[in-house]
Parts: sequence; structure tokens; C-alpha cells
Amino acid sequence: MQNKLSFHQSSVNLEIIGLPDYSNNENKDQISIISQWKLTIIDKPLIEGKIEHLGPIMNAFYIYSNLLIKNEIPIFESKLIDIKADNLHIHNIVLKSSKPNVKPLILKIGNSLLSDTINCFDQLNESPKVIIKKPDVPNNFPGKLRNGLNKKLKFSNFFIPPFIAICSLILLSSSFIYFYNPFESIEKKELINAD
Amino acid sequence: MRKSYVGNNIKLNEFDALIRVTVEMSKYLYPYIREILKSKEDLEENSIIWNDFNKRFIELIKERFNMDSMRVKKLLNKAENDEIIIKSLLTLSFCISNQGYQKLKNFLYEF
Repeated sequence: MQNKLSFHQSSVNLEIIGLPDYSNNENKDQISIISQWKLTIIDKPLIEGKIEHLGPIMNAFYIYSNLLIKNEIPIFESKLIDIKADNLHIHNIVLKSSKPNVKPLILKIGNSLLSDTINCFDQLNESPKVIIKKPDVPNNFPGKLRNGLNKKLKFSNFFIPPFIAICSLILLSSSFIYFYNPFESIEKKELINAD
Repeated sequence: MRKSYVGNNIKLNEFDALIRVTVEMSKYLYPYIREILKSKEDLEENSIIWNDFNKRFIELIKERFNMDSMRVKKLLNKAENDEIIIKSLLTLSFCISNQGYQKLKNFLYEF
């Protein structure tokens, strides 16, 4: 008897069918040997495949969504799946079959369905009941970026006080010009010498 | 960008707290965010939702932001603000999972 787990978000449903790995002392309600998965998007053809297709498809969606948000050109192309933006609201997905003479499946989904799909994949990633080799969701950002905010603050704190100090010194010293005229003092000295 | 005469820099712990609040609000508001995004996909059918949202967004910007700033003016420009609003809503809709805090933080650092 196979286990079946469903992850649901608004108009998208992801179903995972498989068995636990009893040799690894897993619970009977867990899934670590996936035999089949199905991605159902309302009003669109059913997407299903083997375990080796799930990881690359999830990765493709994650990479594409990152590109979309980061103002980079949102195009993802691979042997299995292509995702391109038709415009700001519609995304064109081409799923290529590994079998010969099978036409690729073309889907057009909007931003709402894209976010539903990403959220279904997130639920699968976070589920303790499914043990799979999970795709690399960009959760760990490099140290340079992590410390960027701190460094920016420290940089400004470091340079602004001396800058203000130098400016105020220039302003203050320029005001002394009213009390002391260098040309007048030279003339006075000349007069004293002449005497 | 805000209407304020005090130019205080945000501290790292305050920044973190703001991200956590934003993620929790996004989880709660996801159905609404989704409907706004959907309304823009087919403007003829759902133009009321998008227009209402856009109108309220502009009202809030005018009320709370410094109108002399060029970046704020860009937010108010109808020709340019569509992309900014959609990308902001998309970012929020991608961050409603349990790891949403970390995801939103990454998006903001890489922005």
C-alpha cells in the first residue's frame, strides 16, 4: 500500500505518491521512495512524472521566480523545462518529454498560479513526512551581503563626523577674517619700520 | 522616503523585526495579494480590484511619503509603478512559507 501526500495552495495541488524506507527505520506514514508525483493546476493539463523530473522542475521554478523578482531577464532553459515571461503577468512554460516523438506540453500561467505553485513546492520542501533530495533554495546568502547593511551604517558613521568637524572648522576660521586683516598688519609693520 | 524630519538609520534588529512582521502579514493577506495579482492578468474582467488597490496605494504614498523625493515620484507615476507594485506583491506572495522570513531577507539583501 503506497502513501499519498497532498500539498495544496489555492488553485494548485501537488500530490506525492511513494513508500517509506523501512530499512532506514522510517515511520509508515513517511515517503522517501517516491514512485509518482502529480502537479494539478486548475484549468490546465495535468503535469506528472518520475522522481528524477521533480527536482529539476522545482529548481526551474525557484530559479525563474528569483530572476523575475531581481529585475533580471526572466528566462530559464533546460533539457526538461523552459520558462519564459510573455509579459509582466503571463509566464510561458514548455515541458519537454524524454520520450521521442512526444510533443512538448505548453502552459501559460499568470502570477497568481506561479505563486501558488512556488508555495506548493515550499510546503513539500518543509514537510517532515517527505524525505527527498531537496533543491537548493537560495536561503543562505553570502557573508558579504549579510554584513552589507551593517557595513553601510558603520561606513557613514565613520566618515560623517570628521566631515562635519572639518566643515565647521573652515566656517569658524573664515569668520576670523573680520577680526584680522593680513594686509593691514603688513602696512602697520612697514610704517613701524619706516619710523 | 518617509515624511520625517529625523533621518535615523534603521538598526539590524529593527530590520529583522520588520521582515518578520511583513512575512506574518503576507501569510494572513495571501488570498488578497493573490486576487490583486490575478486581477492584473485579465484587466477586462477584474479591473475594479486592481484600480481600487492602485488608488489606495497612491493615497497612502501621498499621505505618508516625502513627495519631493524622486523615488517617491516614481512610485506615483502610473506608467512606471505597475512593475514596482507587481514585483513587490510577487515577492510577498513567494514568502508565505515557514522559511518565508529567510526568503524575504535574501530578496531584500539582493535587491
